[in-house]
Amino acid sequence: MKGLILKDLYLTLKYCRAFLVIVVVFIGVSFFNDDSTFLSTFSIFYPCIIAGMIPSTLYSYDEREKWCTYSATLPVSKAQFVSSKYIIGLFSAITIIIFTAIVQAFKMLNTTFIPMDYLSIIAFIIAVCLVAPSVFMPFMFKFGAEKGRIIYYVVIGAACALFAIFSVNQGSIFILDNIFVISAICIGAAVIYISSWLLSISFYKNREI
Amino acid sequence: MNALEIKNLSKFYNGFTLDNLNLILPQGCIMGLIGENGAGKTTTIKLILDMINRDSGSIKIFGKDNKDNLKLTKEDIGVVLDEVGISECLTAKQVGKIMKYTFKNWDEQTFSEYLRKLSVPENKKFKEFSRGMKMKLGIAIALSHNAKLLILDEATSGLDPIVRDEVIDIFGEFTRDENHAVLISSHIVSDLEKICDYIAFLHKGKLLLCEEKDKLKEQYGIIRCTCDDLRNISPSAIIGKKESPYGVEAIVKRDKISTGMEISMIDIEQLFIFMAKEAK
Repeated sequence: MKGLILKDLYLTLKYCRAFLVIVVVFIGVSFFNDDSTFLSTFSIFYPCIIAGMIPSTLYSYDEREKWCTYSATLPVSKAQFVSSKYIIGLFSAITIIIFTAIVQAFKMLNTTFIPMDYLSIIAFIIAVCLVAPSVFMPFMFKFGAEKGRIIYYVVIGAACALFAIFSVNQGSIFILDNIFVISAICIGAAVIYISSWLLSISFYKNREI
Repeated sequence: MNALEIKNLSKFYNGFTLDNLNLILPQGCIMGLIGENGAGKTTTIKLILDMINRDSGSIKIFGKDNKDNLKLTKEDIGVVLDEVGISECLTAKQVGKIMKYTFKNWDEQTFSEYLRKLSVPENKKFKEFSRGMKMKLGIAIALSHNAKLLILDEATSGLDPIVRDEVIDIFGEFTRDENHAVLISSHIVSDLEKICDYIAFLHKGKLLLCEEKDKLKEQYGIIRCTCDDLRNISPSAIIGKKESPYGVEAIVKRDKISTGMEISMIDIEQLFIFMAKEAK
């Protein structure tokens, strides 16, 4: 398993450098924009969407370069193969969450720091970082990277549409005033991620390579 | 103990069936799997490694069912596939580090020695390797974790004749240890003829024969005669024949041919081609 993660880290550093640049740019944009603008909201959440694409990008390369087949000849189980992608996904998500949390904290400290507003945004970032890949990764492990990627775009499109609808009717939906709801969003996202992980293992175990 | 025991193995696909395959590879031996494209060689190897699910039959590796903790069994298996499957951006040095964390018995020094011996550059990216170079890296990996069984799917294809000879020597050296064994599939039958103790012919998913190479040469021979002469030979003695305006060439069972007829030595490639054509 360590070997698989190391290989994925090498690939991430090689193939996902552009993602890193995009993430840094958008986190920077979110710092300099007013919270009420669409651009600010978009720039907060776009890095999360990018982070969610890293496991699928890696899996896509694995399929193309026949690593999926080769790894099946090594002393690693299919569950470990799937887990390496989820661990890399988690690592990417945590990195984005930490950076965004720091940037948002500095941004709020420059104006008025409202703890509940801050926690709300962090909760939604955690949710987007974990839920978006959770929805498409089982499809990816069942049907392959390309179909998984299509599902990812559908999920993101649907999520954007929902946010837009709720935002029109209720103003910013990213501000919550109840700590239990905020906690529930974080715990729910984690549960969805773990469930997706287990489902992907189950799908991949039955897949012929 | 046998390194590999395959009994009544079947796998059904739409348009292809691997039908009731039986193979035994004893330790200390090399078995060559010969067959045309689509004969079932890669399917057999994938079934051994449990990459695809078998529909019936059993596979034992060192006496243990291959479904039974295969992850542990794979520590003892070195595999080189037709397409090596290393990520293109990786260098041999990085691959070595990955394998160090993958195999319990990974031997860095042996790996470096094989890279040097096979002239594989350590810091060049895999995508810049020629096909032969890619195969050599795959072979170096397979030989660097104290494997007891090598499974090689077209591992010598793409290598130039000098390197191929060198690699074949390495495989021969590997089986000097009586606990080791090699299963190798190849289109280059002459390579297999050089090193194999056992030869298995696969044709359209069926095993035509599996026999010791030396016995094959003892049992079968080739005769060149006229069509009339051939009619005097018992049909049960004839494995396959090729007729031309100049006469006929036939593969025969030596023990069923009456003395007096000149029987030439047969090579494995000829035997396979004749048997495969006859089985059509």
